[in-house]
Amino acid sequence: MSAKKDPKKLTEAERQERDADRRERLVTSQQGPKVLTLNLKEPDIFAAQRLNRESLDHCVKCTICETQCPVAAVTPLFSGPKYVGPQAERFRHGESVDHSLDYCSSCGICTLSCPQGVQIAELNSMARAVMKADHMPIRDFLIGETVLMGKAMTPIAPIANAALNNKPIRIVMEKIIGVHRNAPMPTAQSQSFVSWAKRHQPAKPATRGPVVFFHGCAGGYFEVQTSIHTVEVLEHLGYEVIIPTQGCCGLAQQSNGLFTQARKTVRKLCDQLRAAGKDLTIISSSGSCTGMLKHEAHEIMGVDDPALIDVGSRIRETSEFLMELEDEGTLPHTFQRVDMTVPYHAPCQLKGQGMGMPAIRLLELIPGLKVVESGQACCGIAGTYGLKKEKYDVAQAVGQALFDMVVDTNPDLAVCDTETCRWQISKSTGVPTVHPISLVHRAYGLDK
Amino acid sequence: MRTYDCDVVVVGGGSTGAGVVRDVAMRGYSAILVDRADLGQGTTGRYHGLLHSGGRYVVSDPHSATECAEENAIVTRIHASAVEATGGLFVSTPEDDLAFSDDFLAGCHKTGVPVEEISVAAALKREPRVNPGIRRAFLVEDGTVDGWQMVWGAARSAQEYGAQILTYHAVVGIEMTGSSVSAVRCIDRRSGEDVTISCRFVINAAGAWSHHIAEMAGCHDVEVVPGRGIMIAMNHRLVNTVINRCTYPADGDILVPVHTVAIIGTTDVRAEDPDELPIPADEVQQMLDCGEILIPGFRQARALHAWSGARPLVKDSRVSAQDTRHMSRGMSILDHQSRDGVSGILTIAGGKLTTYRLMAKNIVDRMCEQLGEERECRTADEAVPGSTPGETYQVTHRLHDREADRRDDQIICECELMSRTMLTDALHADPQASMDDLRRHLRLGMGPCQGGFCSLRATGIACAEGVIDAELANARLHEFLAHRWIGLWPILYGDQVRQTALDEWIFQGLLDVEHLPEPKVVLEPVPLGVAAQSLQSTTEPETTEAVR
Amino acid sequence: MNDVVVVGGGIAGLLSAARLVAQGAKVTLVTFGVGGLQLSHGGFDVLGYAPERVDRPFDVLDDFIAANPEHPYAVLGADAVRLGTDFASEFFGDRLVGNDGRNWLLPTAVGALRPTYLASPTMVNAEARAGHDPVVVVGLQQLKDFQAELIAGNLVKQQIPARAIVLDLPARTHEADASGLTYARAMDRADYRADFAKALGKQLLSGEKALIPAIAGHHEAAAFTDLQTRLGAPLAEIPLPPPGVPGMRLNEYASRRLQDQRVRWILGARVVALHSEGGRAVSVDVATSGHLTKVRADAVVYAPGGFESGSLSLDSHGKVLETHLGLPVRVPPGRLIGPDRRSEQPLFRSGLAVDDQMRVLDDADRPVYPNLFAAGGVLAGAMRWSEKSGEGIAAASAVRAADAIGDLA
Repeated sequence: MSAKKDPKKLTEAERQERDADRRERLVTSQQGPKVLTLNLKEPDIFAAQRLNRESLDHCVKCTICETQCPVAAVTPLFSGPKYVGPQAERFRHGESVDHSLDYCSSCGICTLSCPQGVQIAELNSMARAVMKADHMPIRDFLIGETVLMGKAMTPIAPIANAALNNKPIRIVMEKIIGVHRNAPMPTAQSQSFVSWAKRHQPAKPATRGPVVFFHGCAGGYFEVQTSIHTVEVLEHLGYEVIIPTQGCCGLAQQSNGLFTQARKTVRKLCDQLRAAGKDLTIISSSGSCTGMLKHEAHEIMGVDDPALIDVGSRIRETSEFLMELEDEGTLPHTFQRVDMTVPYHAPCQLKGQGMGMPAIRLLELIPGLKVVESGQACCGIAGTYGLKKEKYDVAQAVGQALFDMVVDTNPDLAVCDTETCRWQISKSTGVPTVHPISLVHRAYGLDK
Repeated sequence: MRTYDCDVVVVGGGSTGAGVVRDVAMRGYSAILVDRADLGQGTTGRYHGLLHSGGRYVVSDPHSATECAEENAIVTRIHASAVEATGGLFVSTPEDDLAFSDDFLAGCHKTGVPVEEISVAAALKREPRVNPGIRRAFLVEDGTVDGWQMVWGAARSAQEYGAQILTYHAVVGIEMTGSSVSAVRCIDRRSGEDVTISCRFVINAAGAWSHHIAEMAGCHDVEVVPGRGIMIAMNHRLVNTVINRCTYPADGDILVPVHTVAIIGTTDVRAEDPDELPIPADEVQQMLDCGEILIPGFRQARALHAWSGARPLVKDSRVSAQDTRHMSRGMSILDHQSRDGVSGILTIAGGKLTTYRLMAKNIVDRMCEQLGEERECRTADEAVPGSTPGETYQVTHRLHDREADRRDDQIICECELMSRTMLTDALHADPQASMDDLRRHLRLGMGPCQGGFCSLRATGIACAEGVIDAELANARLHEFLAHRWIGLWPILYGDQVRQTALDEWIFQGLLDVEHLPEPKVVLEPVPLGVAAQSLQSTTEPETTEAVR
Repeated sequence: MNDVVVVGGGIAGLLSAARLVAQGAKVTLVTFGVGGLQLSHGGFDVLGYAPERVDRPFDVLDDFIAANPEHPYAVLGADAVRLGTDFASEFFGDRLVGNDGRNWLLPTAVGALRPTYLASPTMVNAEARAGHDPVVVVGLQQLKDFQAELIAGNLVKQQIPARAIVLDLPARTHEADASGLTYARAMDRADYRADFAKALGKQLLSGEKALIPAIAGHHEAAAFTDLQTRLGAPLAEIPLPPPGVPGMRLNEYASRRLQDQRVRWILGARVVALHSEGGRAVSVDVATSGHLTKVRADAVVYAPGGFESGSLSLDSHGKVLETHLGLPVRVPPGRLIGPDRRSEQPLFRSGLAVDDQMRVLDDADRPVYPNLFAAGGVLAGAMRWSEKSGEGIAAASAVRAADAIGDLA
């Protein structure tokens, strides 16, 4: 092919060739222990691209997404979802030029709000993956390794926690790896959930049949209480809870643009969950991981695996599952009184599953319990976004109205369905924050 | 009454005319170009956007193929900022005769059109939306061109060499001294003034309208047959490479990515009047079906805008007068001296945009011959102003530029990322510009919202800058929306209907533009084919097919 | 009556849910995205043009109905329109004010004068017929959607003495391109209001009324009156093209109130199927992520919007469809879209046909189900944006549907 010999501007064929080469070179020059193998030529990427790119045609520029975006509301550094999604996509081809798209937190509220069906957040996530392929900070790579973090930290929990709470160490971390010194860090537990489960015996025999429990990384290593409460409530309702060997859902890798790793991770998890039994309901108190399996892995990365479709169709978030029982008339109302008014915040990734806010209805079945919904879009953490030093201030601004509302409503307890949001809220307000299941657990008299 | 005096008057500001005036000016002649409307409102503004590799003609018209291949490289060099080096693919779809692909390959070799066969898998990797049933694929050097950028580039080059570009000057008569052309009479449509340009030579590059001009010089029976074709722009680049069907040229066999859209085309029907170019519903359906062959799922994509253009085809004895598809695309020069006994005028017609420069060279060479003056053509040697050889257009340009000025400038047309500075610069450069004149330069209103959000901002800003008053702003707003509608209503379905509903909610439901005080001012009078009309009419501007 | 599903979060869906809640029903509202009220002018139209400008809509309603027998107003009857309007007025409280039965005539962001029946109290100082105090139209350099010169120029042509000024007052530091919403958020803060009042006050002439873009606060309900007090002169807002704050104020109020009343709120999932048993609708399928969720329904109010929401659609072959449930659509005869932009496009009168109880009718004019109702923009027979009738149709049909459901119990 006679190419137009042109050092600065290349033909399409030459650009593609160069991009392929570039990815190889990037990989070999990394200092990290793992090789970055983001490969945009995988067949899956075209499925996702096509799905999302096609959806840009539905955009009529109504600006509804802009009115809902929590990041655009607090900083002019981000031009808003309409701009970076369907609008910029018409101009994208190959190498990224609009780096400000990185201010998108991928909260997904834009897609949720769009009346026309534009996959706005997904368009942006894909564009970010392309952008990151050019220059992936090692931090984003490490942040994605949540299982590794958990496995590494659990044995040394007190030390790990001390380090994470130690200001000088945090300042150094911020400088080297770019995680903000004040960003909420998970608290390592001395005992992982799996070791608890190994030693645990159900309080009564099962009467309703088996369900599978997916604890997620946080539920496995950092928020072990939430997992324990979920299992105990399910067993109280008469279910046999199967806890298969399980890894990560890949969400943190995906939101940092590490699509190749994320795809491998999520596929492995699906196989593990399926191994627990065919057609069983899978329950998770990890709201964001639930969302990853239900729709994000497909919509953002184009994963079309039958295993994912199967798992995605059977998985329920805990409150969602309990309200299904309620709607069938099989949820016992043997609740003790809990006289309390609690602020409740529905995380973005929970809202994004299109099931409304089942936790509110669930909690208000408990006599004496009044729930005040936050009315706020986002807490700011957006998974790993708010950890990053260049995004921290934006994240805190995003969450400020929520933090104020929590403190004003009940300074002693707040409720929220996903772990990173709970950490963000409690770090920023000082208010202990729990998953709804913990209140249900208490109301069923299971607290010892 | 205004008078001018120059060597050469070029009638017609399409690609041919702009090429001619540049060539003439670069050869040291004083020159004036006149067009009854803006540059590139005729065929040049309504074509497919393709810079031919020549592949399309290797079997059907080998001479054209070779010319295209050579000129493609030249145009890419001298008009780099208007040209996108997308590359092209010729694909044998299941609908195409596979045997033709062998003829195609052989034809490329014979005509010197660069070609490389690639695997179907490689083609689909490069363009994942293309029909997965294709059986062969060939890479060629097709590119895409913004016709207006190209024409204005040539015009600006001509101006640098001393030429004058008089848009909105309609030719109403040609004066003779004996049997020689001596002057061209025009009306300045913006001011109503009569204009006379004394000259030695007239080059008639009026395309599909050239018979009117020839007639004025006493040259009768010039037969230029308008071959009408429609094109539909789809809302986003379904492909980033030009996709051609590997077949004898047929309707709807090309999909061209230009700027932010992908254009499917085209048809070929003889038209009677180049100012009456409808967009028939059956042809729209035909184009959508053709799109489906190239891109399965094409009908679910969003059709954004359609237009109709007329190829100026010189009638020749080889084919039937009705079959415009097979008339020669080759250029024809009508030597009126030998044909009609009139000296000082030549007509050029036919051809295609890719070879515009060569066409211009040929006719200016002929003019020099007739004048007995030997002057060399240098148009291939120099890039036009604003273009640097090698720095071709990239679709990411505006996204990159807006990223840089995001905090300091406003984006007025968000769909096409046109900034306020771009708009105000253009307004001050041509304070009498209509919104469509601005649109041709800036792409204002050419994106998904089709003026829904930007047209009010733009007319308001023109008012704020003191360029126009509120009454004229109202008139320009109505006119712009009416003109956009010409290309919308024939293809309005699916997502574009939703857009129209929202746009109407804004214009009528929110702004109530239909109840603005009615403007008394008249804007563009009805475009003229021949005789001048009074410009002081108080009727509302009619919407016509010819305004683009 | 027990479980009612309302499909659609636009004004028709919201008012229908509100009426049902007041009747004691358990309501689930399912909406694919945020509803169109978010983008509205913040007022309430009953009838603005018929086709001449209407002064008192309820005075001409009977004539309008007689002249437009296919219109939803004709199906509903004038009393239903009154009832719907009164209900909406009560629901929104002092967020909407009337003009003693007369349409307000208010300037728009291009400078036309637009009739509306109920308006935001922040706008009524701009009433065009209330004497001819001189007016200053206040633009902001950073706000491209409000072009003061154009507006003032057009007002002058309509005998309103107006001049234009432009303030250089960014809503946020180093931001040249802001929306009305960005400004409204800034106006939620007292310090920004103080700066604004000071800058405007310097240029305001004595006796002048100030017309500002609709940016006087988003969440802060007292922002407008505070600003007016600081200015010491009459102030009026003019609604902007999207993102338009007045509509947002109404939408957020309505949504919040209904959610606090524990309407089960499902945002972000499409209704994809309606199930029936024994000739009645019994449930809807909602496409939640990963699986379909079945929601039981004793009745369904179907208010998904018209062409602008994609609920009605014209495909590339020219067929008009109702896209979620495949209900039968009434389409005007003849050409649906024509070359004259300024005349009506019949396509937009397509929609669902209903009986006077708002039950959806099939092609033989029989109710599809006795408990399936429709309201709002999906109804056939209206040109809401040119008539200026959208809210009136939405409210009247929403209330009628809700009341009919109450009668079903």
